[in-house]
Amino acid sequence: MDKGLLAYLLIPLFTAVLIPFIARNRPRLADIFANVTLLAGLVNLLWLALRPSVIAGGFADIPGDALSLLLVAAVYLVGLCVTFFSAYFMEEGLPNRQAYYSLILTSIAAMTGVVTTGDFFTLYVFIEVLAVTSFALITTDDSAGGIEGAIKYFFLTFPASALIMVGIAIFMISLGSLSFDSLRVYMSSDMPDGPVVFASALIMLGFLIKSGVVPFHAWTPDAYQGSYAPVSAHLAGIVTKISGVYAVVKLATLLRFFDGRAQALSELVMFLGLLSIAVGAIAALRQTSFKRMLAFSSISQVGYIVLAAGLGTPLAIMGAVFHLINHATFKTTLFLNSASLEKAAGTTDMDKLGGMEHAMPWTSWTSVIALLSTAGVPPLSGFWSKLLIILALWESGLKTYAVLALLFSIVTLAYFMIMQRKVFFGRKSPAAERSSEVSAPLLAPAVLMCGVIVALGLLFPYFYQYVKVVAERIIL
Amino acid sequence: MIYHTLLFVLTAVFALWAVMARKLLTSAIMLALVSITVSLIFFDFGAPWAGVFELSVCAGLITVLFIGAVSLIRDHDEKRPENRSRFHALPLAAAIFAIAAWFYLPAFFEELAGWARVGNGGGTIGLALWEMRRPDLLGQVLMLAAGVFMIKSIFPRRTQK
Repeated sequence: MDKGLLAYLLIPLFTAVLIPFIARNRPRLADIFANVTLLAGLVNLLWLALRPSVIAGGFADIPGDALSLLLVAAVYLVGLCVTFFSAYFMEEGLPNRQAYYSLILTSIAAMTGVVTTGDFFTLYVFIEVLAVTSFALITTDDSAGGIEGAIKYFFLTFPASALIMVGIAIFMISLGSLSFDSLRVYMSSDMPDGPVVFASALIMLGFLIKSGVVPFHAWTPDAYQGSYAPVSAHLAGIVTKISGVYAVVKLATLLRFFDGRAQALSELVMFLGLLSIAVGAIAALRQTSFKRMLAFSSISQVGYIVLAAGLGTPLAIMGAVFHLINHATFKTTLFLNSASLEKAAGTTDMDKLGGMEHAMPWTSWTSVIALLSTAGVPPLSGFWSKLLIILALWESGLKTYAVLALLFSIVTLAYFMIMQRKVFFGRKSPAAERSSEVSAPLLAPAVLMCGVIVALGLLFPYFYQYVKVVAERIIL
Repeated sequence: MIYHTLLFVLTAVFALWAVMARKLLTSAIMLALVSITVSLIFFDFGAPWAGVFELSVCAGLITVLFIGAVSLIRDHDEKRPENRSRFHALPLAAAIFAIAAWFYLPAFFEELAGWARVGNGGGTIGLALWEMRRPDLLGQVLMLAAGVFMIKSIFPRRTQK
């Protein structure tokens, strides 16, 4: 475990335990404590990574594998946006306000544990903590949709946990250890690889199910659509990315050390990635619910990350890591905007909305920035990550995959344009007539995320340097 | 030997109780107790890693998920009559199992104790918990916290309704 980042796990946990006592009589204190904890953590992380001396040194001074720090920062950023938004979104009388913030902070501590651990079993334990917190958070408003989503989430991701456990047991028997390093050493050696490849396949399958990759995506749209509005942003923005996609990327980087002996597994991962891109994009075209469309879009974008992880070249891993960060920014923005729409218009049904731009200009324009970045339009951040992935595919001779990835990027633009026209542009609907822009604090997280999207796009050379350091440390 | 047998009997009793309990919550608690006694058997036979993993996976994770699932069930679901005729055969099955255990279990424990002596390198419980698997303990603390917050989140809403 990366001990340098341990504080980022312990402090949210401490605040989570403190909140029920401190905010017992004054529920608003829960908002303040949660937000201050995450803001302080984020500022500290930015100081660690973006000090002028660190940038001037080409990020060589970043501790650990540099990926952990980047992902902890992403976890804190999305967490801060969600808690800040929730503070103004949540109804005053919600009886479980303190528990809600405690659960969010516990899930942030668990995600920090996931990205800082160097051991498969510890990774599994933290991922199960995430499963428990997600289960509780999805049902925050006790709606029927939320309970259905939570139960589907539980029953469809539980077999994944069983697969991961069996894989871990085989690792334990074959390697005598569960650390990433011992697996790396074993894979680089000439020892018999059959059981280890089999165990890797089981673990990979488990994490692909948890990532919501096609054909294991049945739980994703229901969980995202049914859950409490800010929780959708938390789940889609970061939780499923850390509990599934991060582990897929991590395992895929380790598979490289098999030196071609796990080629079939890598090819299968790539195929499932491409399938997700296609199925997610085509399904998104047919949706009428804004949140459900975003859920299918999320499946499609996760496909890009999985495709790049399966390819496993340094350039592809850089693209995968960059797209994972980008996905956290644009999907959080879009889900928070859907929550704002729900609050202002009372619905997220796209057939009942229209002309919302007149009533909610800020929400409309932050959506435009996020959707253009998702579709990979330059110079926004999503363009660079997709470019890296497509270039990596082309360089490896997988031209069909590269062309298809590019084509589905255009489909992404198409379904988002349809959404934008139906919801925000065009003639004013009755819903737009009675709606008005949400308050500034509810807009602030989306505006902040849009700032990050634009900054990552415009300052790409610096970020490229950072992800290059990540790729060098984890796979070269 | 008496210690192993006692743990084994306790495991069997808790397992039967988990299956036959009328309330799901009781079942979940009994399942956790099964995990704890199985972990103790592992520790006792010199397999502390297996014991730690058993504790982490079962006693922590599954119990919390069960309590969560139970707390989501509405009152009318709990009151629905249950067909329990299939459980009538359980005492008979338990009796047959107990007689078989009386004959075979001591020899099985002898065998396991022999293996425990051969593999006498697994370390102590303390070594496995505090030295080798310390980050897992942190995960278990988080799991415990998540379970408490989950119950705190779900029960006030049920009480209000």
